[in-house]
Amino acid sequence: MSSHAATAGHIDHHHDATTSTGIPNKKLFMWAFLASDCMFFGSLIATHLIYRLHPPAGSPDPRDLFSIELTSGSTFILLMSSLLMALAVNAIQKGNVATTRKMLLGTIIFGLIFLGGQVYEFNHFVKVGGLTLSNSVFGSTFYTLTGTHGTHVAIGVLWLVLMYIRTFKPTDDSNGQGWIAKGALHFLAFAGAVVVGMYTLLALVHAYEEGHGLAYYFSHHFISFGGTIALIGALIWFARSPGPVDFGEANAIDVESMGLYWHFVDIVWIVIFPVVYLLEYIVLP
Amino acid sequence: MSATADASTLSASDSHAHDGKFHVFVQLAMILAIITGMELLVIYIPMPEWLVISILMGLSVVKFLAVIFIFMHLKWDKAFCTILFFIGLALGGGTLWALLLLHGAKDSQPVGPAYEMVE
Repeated sequence: MSSHAATAGHIDHHHDATTSTGIPNKKLFMWAFLASDCMFFGSLIATHLIYRLHPPAGSPDPRDLFSIELTSGSTFILLMSSLLMALAVNAIQKGNVATTRKMLLGTIIFGLIFLGGQVYEFNHFVKVGGLTLSNSVFGSTFYTLTGTHGTHVAIGVLWLVLMYIRTFKPTDDSNGQGWIAKGALHFLAFAGAVVVGMYTLLALVHAYEEGHGLAYYFSHHFISFGGTIALIGALIWFARSPGPVDFGEANAIDVESMGLYWHFVDIVWIVIFPVVYLLEYIVLP
Repeated sequence: MSATADASTLSASDSHAHDGKFHVFVQLAMILAIITGMELLVIYIPMPEWLVISILMGLSVVKFLAVIFIFMHLKWDKAFCTILFFIGLALGGGTLWALLLLHGAKDSQPVGPAYEMVE
């Protein structure tokens, strides 16, 4: 377990006597950043709404493009990722590193599912709906708003992966830079598993859509499928217990700051979901 | 009573509080999922437009406040964090509201052949 385990139960996570405000500086910085991000997203949402209220002639009908089932599923996934993030913070505040890792992994997976849904949605809009960033005002405001949110999610996933890898830093640093090299390999395995795994999954979906069987799929995508399995195996190998780690309750503020960012991504979507998607479906009596 | 005993009492109390939070978080996630389901239902019920928009905005505000106060710990943190965030929220929300009002005013209606066709 952690080198900080001895201090478990003695850290006040809501008060820091060493700062003039009584708030940990990292937390204060994150709240200030999120407050500024509110203004950023407020402007983007206003821009989208203004152009939806005054659509130029020839604007596409969003109901012909949107898939409310997909978007509702993505919304549910993001809400549940927020739960896992809150549980990760709760676990590290108790010095429980193993549970923190599991919750971080769950949050990463849910974040990736959300991003996958957004990639699928954008791909569908461009290829089937013909909606691009520049061929209509609706496309410009929609992609800018939801794309900016998606970028925030992607940055959050990257941060989560880095924090997950950070939890493996050994207490014994006699190996010098060895831990950094191992961490870099861990990160590459993660990135590779995500990219190759998504490619393999999309290939399976395409094979299913085109009516091909599993035999066809495996004969054409054997390398990517094998690569995915190998990379997942590498991730399991990297995640095996390394002995005492330099990560514990004292790092709770780092996980909490990251959690604040992740929850913010969720609350922005709580606003975007009804404003951009649901309002288009109102059935007038 | 010894300092050791005090520390163990504090630790047990903290542990109980954290366990309590676990249940609060799980229950909140379930409530948020139910509210999201309600949002979906509302749009398919024939009602006046203003009523549907009001209900949707009301449900979103409930979800928003629940996440920031419970998942983001504002309920347990110092009030300054809440004030700081709400300053940004008020500026962002105010900008949104002002832009909508400005562009909704008659003199601000877009003009030109493309818009006249829509009108």
